[in-house]
Amino acid sequence: MNAKILAGLLKKGDRVAVSNITGREASKVSVISQAYANNIVGGWALGKGKRSMDVPKGDGIPVFPTCAKLYQNLPKNKLPNKVIIYSPPTAVYGEVKEVLAHGGAELKTLFVITEHVSIEVTAKIHNLCKEAGVDVIGCNTLGVINTHDHVRVGAVGGDMPEESFVKGSATIISNSGNMVNTMATYMLTGGMGTHMGISTGKDMLILTPMVELLKLAAASKETRMIVLYVEPGGVYEKEAIDWMKKCKFKKPVIVYVAGQLTEGRDVSLGHAGAVVEGKDSSASGKMAMFDKYFRTEAFDPEKKYRADAALASKLRKGMRVTTLHHLPEAAKLICRALKMKPDFPVKKQLNLNPWFSNFRGLAKSMPSELRIDHSEIPEPYATQFAKYMKESVGLMPAKRKMKNASHASSLVGEARIYGYSITQLMEKKSLGDALILYWTGDLPKYRFESKLVEMSLLAALTNGPGTISAQGAKLSASAGNSPHTAMIATLASIGDTHGGNGRQGVKFMLDVFKGTDLKDPYAKNCGVDPKSLAQETARNFKKMKDASKESGVDYKRIPCLGHPVFNRDPINYDPRERAISKAIKDAGKRNVFLDFYHELAKGLRDVGAAGKIWAVNMDAALAAIWLGICWEPLMEKRVTQKRVEECAFLGFALGRVAGGAGEFLDHQDFNTAMDMRTPASDCVALTRPRELE
Amino acid sequence: MSSQITELTFLEQLARRFDLPVPGHVNAMATRSRLRNAMGRWGGKGVVKADIMTGGRGKGGAVKIVKDVQEAMHQLKKLSSIEVKGKQARTAYMTQFIEAKVQIYSAITYDSKYLGPSLTLSLEGGVDIESVGPEGKRTIPVDVFKGLDAYQVSEVLMELDCPKDFVSLMSRTLVNFWDMFITTGMRMCEINPWHITADGKPYACDFKAIFDETNFKLKNPDIQFPEYPENVTEFEEQMEEWNAASHQGQAHVSGLGGDMILPILFGGGASTIITETLEIAGGSPIFLSDFGGNPPYARMYGTAKRCLDHNLDKADLLLILGGKANNTMIDITFQAIGDALVDWVDENGPLDKPVVIGRGGPRMVPGFITMREILETLRVPYVIFGHDSPLTLVAEYAAKLAKFVREKKEAK
Repeated sequence: MNAKILAGLLKKGDRVAVSNITGREASKVSVISQAYANNIVGGWALGKGKRSMDVPKGDGIPVFPTCAKLYQNLPKNKLPNKVIIYSPPTAVYGEVKEVLAHGGAELKTLFVITEHVSIEVTAKIHNLCKEAGVDVIGCNTLGVINTHDHVRVGAVGGDMPEESFVKGSATIISNSGNMVNTMATYMLTGGMGTHMGISTGKDMLILTPMVELLKLAAASKETRMIVLYVEPGGVYEKEAIDWMKKCKFKKPVIVYVAGQLTEGRDVSLGHAGAVVEGKDSSASGKMAMFDKYFRTEAFDPEKKYRADAALASKLRKGMRVTTLHHLPEAAKLICRALKMKPDFPVKKQLNLNPWFSNFRGLAKSMPSELRIDHSEIPEPYATQFAKYMKESVGLMPAKRKMKNASHASSLVGEARIYGYSITQLMEKKSLGDALILYWTGDLPKYRFESKLVEMSLLAALTNGPGTISAQGAKLSASAGNSPHTAMIATLASIGDTHGGNGRQGVKFMLDVFKGTDLKDPYAKNCGVDPKSLAQETARNFKKMKDASKESGVDYKRIPCLGHPVFNRDPINYDPRERAISKAIKDAGKRNVFLDFYHELAKGLRDVGAAGKIWAVNMDAALAAIWLGICWEPLMEKRVTQKRVEECAFLGFALGRVAGGAGEFLDHQDFNTAMDMRTPASDCVALTRPRELE
Repeated sequence: MSSQITELTFLEQLARRFDLPVPGHVNAMATRSRLRNAMGRWGGKGVVKADIMTGGRGKGGAVKIVKDVQEAMHQLKKLSSIEVKGKQARTAYMTQFIEAKVQIYSAITYDSKYLGPSLTLSLEGGVDIESVGPEGKRTIPVDVFKGLDAYQVSEVLMELDCPKDFVSLMSRTLVNFWDMFITTGMRMCEINPWHITADGKPYACDFKAIFDETNFKLKNPDIQFPEYPENVTEFEEQMEEWNAASHQGQAHVSGLGGDMILPILFGGGASTIITETLEIAGGSPIFLSDFGGNPPYARMYGTAKRCLDHNLDKADLLLILGGKANNTMIDITFQAIGDALVDWVDENGPLDKPVVIGRGGPRMVPGFITMREILETLRVPYVIFGHDSPLTLVAEYAAKLAKFVREKKEAK
């Protein structure tokens, strides 16, 4: 092998290149690896390239269209000596040949991450790399991590490598990639950190067999203990044991052999290489070989071990564990017997620690040993959970490909909205009902909610021809456009400042209400006092406003208060909002959000933040309507917060775009061509004329 | 579709194409006159064999020497439905009886010692090669690029003291054996035994091969893989098809015959360890599963839906367990399993069986929150462990809980 010690496989200063770097897995892993190790100098992806992959932490990764271009274009001091193959199975052989053709003397190690590479290709890769003097880890490896040098290739350690892989002196060699991570975590509770974590891959041919890795471990002073995860298949362990015996291997080994359950049964394991051919390659054959090598029985947690010379002599070579959770105890025993100092003091035992539980009715009859209550969630997860719960009002959907998929609509027999037939909706429901269904996923709980939605659409139709959205439609008509263009012009003329305040209103009220016990915003006794909430909000606003003024900086206004016309009285109202309020009252309900807004307008005047009681405008009503409709699904995490915010905006946009159509029709019938044009004489030049030299 | 074949498929589809000498054969559908003619040509002696996907046919009574047509017909009928080691015969066939002067064992396989193909030969053919001592067999590596040549084979045969008259023809025949192995994408191929007649002619008298499902050569349309009657359930059949449909994430299951725990497990290593622990602790898992490899949402949903639809009804407990993932997105997989669970409840009614979960890895926090919300919404009893709880302890706990649920159910 090229490598002479374990760090020869991967160390600080190694320059890593990644094939198919823009692929689903490679791109995701590379970003995390770059943040952890900053050792990726480039990547390639066929047909892509001439760009750089941005990473939030670490150097940006240049992407080339081919392997050849990567080697031609990278500066000499950045030519990769380690290459990771992430290409699809059918492309792996070609990629390896390319890498060997261009890698030259620089190239030392190849990590083939790809799964499902054929055995024939794997054998060919072995031959080619052997001839070229390049070490190969894989195929189907998850990668390698070196904690001492804080570097990794592949996905070992997942998105938080430092959590499992703490600098220490145990080297983990595992057929299973997941077990590298899992065993490193368990070993921490035995006081042992990791030197190297190596996923060998578990295809039928493991191109860097265990014996080669043990030779490197023997020569690595940082490794004091070796942990092996072994499955059926292959003669790798036999070769390793023969070599350990021959060279009188001095470092203790803890081994776990899995896969005995297949013996005498027609059961196949998940790993392709777990195919028994001959008794020495079976799980029980391997257990017997290791036990014979150790000359001691497997670790028994019930047994009282005396740390004397006899035990030290027995455990000098290590021992087998029969279940994975014995690993840390076995490590502690070996340390005790051999007088090895653990890497760090043990902070926590390995035991059952449920994070969440709710056994419901089952709990009553369950024996006490099964009735385990949820206990303390370790950090940083406890904080993360708390943060998520606090911040994440509403559903947090897992993202998926939605190109040809929709929850909202379907064509099963006929067109449907969230499963309901369009014709049935037409016959039995109103436009408001259907809109609420389409936008929230559920029909309204109360009849008056549909009425409010329809009223708000109506209210949004127009606020006179001078609004910029109406002007948009008129400008488009004046230019001779078609009606749909004028409607687009209307929509293009609304945004966060004009029409989008409802969205801001939802955000604002969610900040105020999300920590409360509010269940039903329409209930007379809803458990929340809008007046005290409003007063507190007003006081906080005043403080913030004063501080901002004092330091001469701008401050964030409260959305949805004030009206350009209805603003002259000591107490002002927006008549459209009044109509909404009346409809709610007529339905025998209240809307706590709207009540809050009125209290807030008063509160702001009371604390001196406003000279009068501003009008609670239509945007506030829109926000309150949609927040009322969505509060229950929001709290039950059936809809996202973003969706509720957008509903308030869309409620305005949908009404206004219909209004824009009205303006267009009127303007088109009566206008003179280009009558919206402003004569040049009415325009003011703010820049003096200049001449080009 | 099985990727293994046995002697009859070899006789019908491969032997002639690769010029490998075989005894004459007739299948079970042959008429009385055809059987008579064949036996007449073969000197009145034939061997009736069951076409069955298991070893040990001889010891299992699935191979019979016959000396007349009546007996041949009787045995063909009988062996067509014989069962050996729990496997049923697909059909039966009769081959010519070849009197052997020497019996040779031959196998080509990918070898973990050489990290490439190897050829194993022995003059003690017709027995299990494991029972032959090292002095009686030889294994040589074969260069995957250069292939096998007759000189290499002849050297091995000479070392094994093969009668010299047989060496040349046998060596050339074994080169054809290699050609078949490498051009059809096999993973392992065994001819055991070759019968070498007194005049030095070799005949391949039994055969088995396993193909590498990841080798594109397997897609060669000329090879038809017969379906063997297997004790596979509709669920296993569906999962095999689903697993083969995509390489994005594993969807591997292997039936275990249990009936208590429905295990949705992640990771090749973890799934093995968990299943072993469940069995030892009496949890009676229905199958072994490996659903790791970072499946996208649709893949995981399809996998979970199939598992739940076919098994949740009979199970006492649903176990969702894996180690601390490196790559698999916990939120995506949990959302998909959760959605499949919601659909199951929509279709089958409320679920009161406990759900035990243990997992760690990328985006675990949103994944746990999603799953907890779904389980709360469905009002299902549950417990969720993080990666600080060892998966073997979680598996032991799940087994105990499943036993308790079973006892409670039986007491009712």
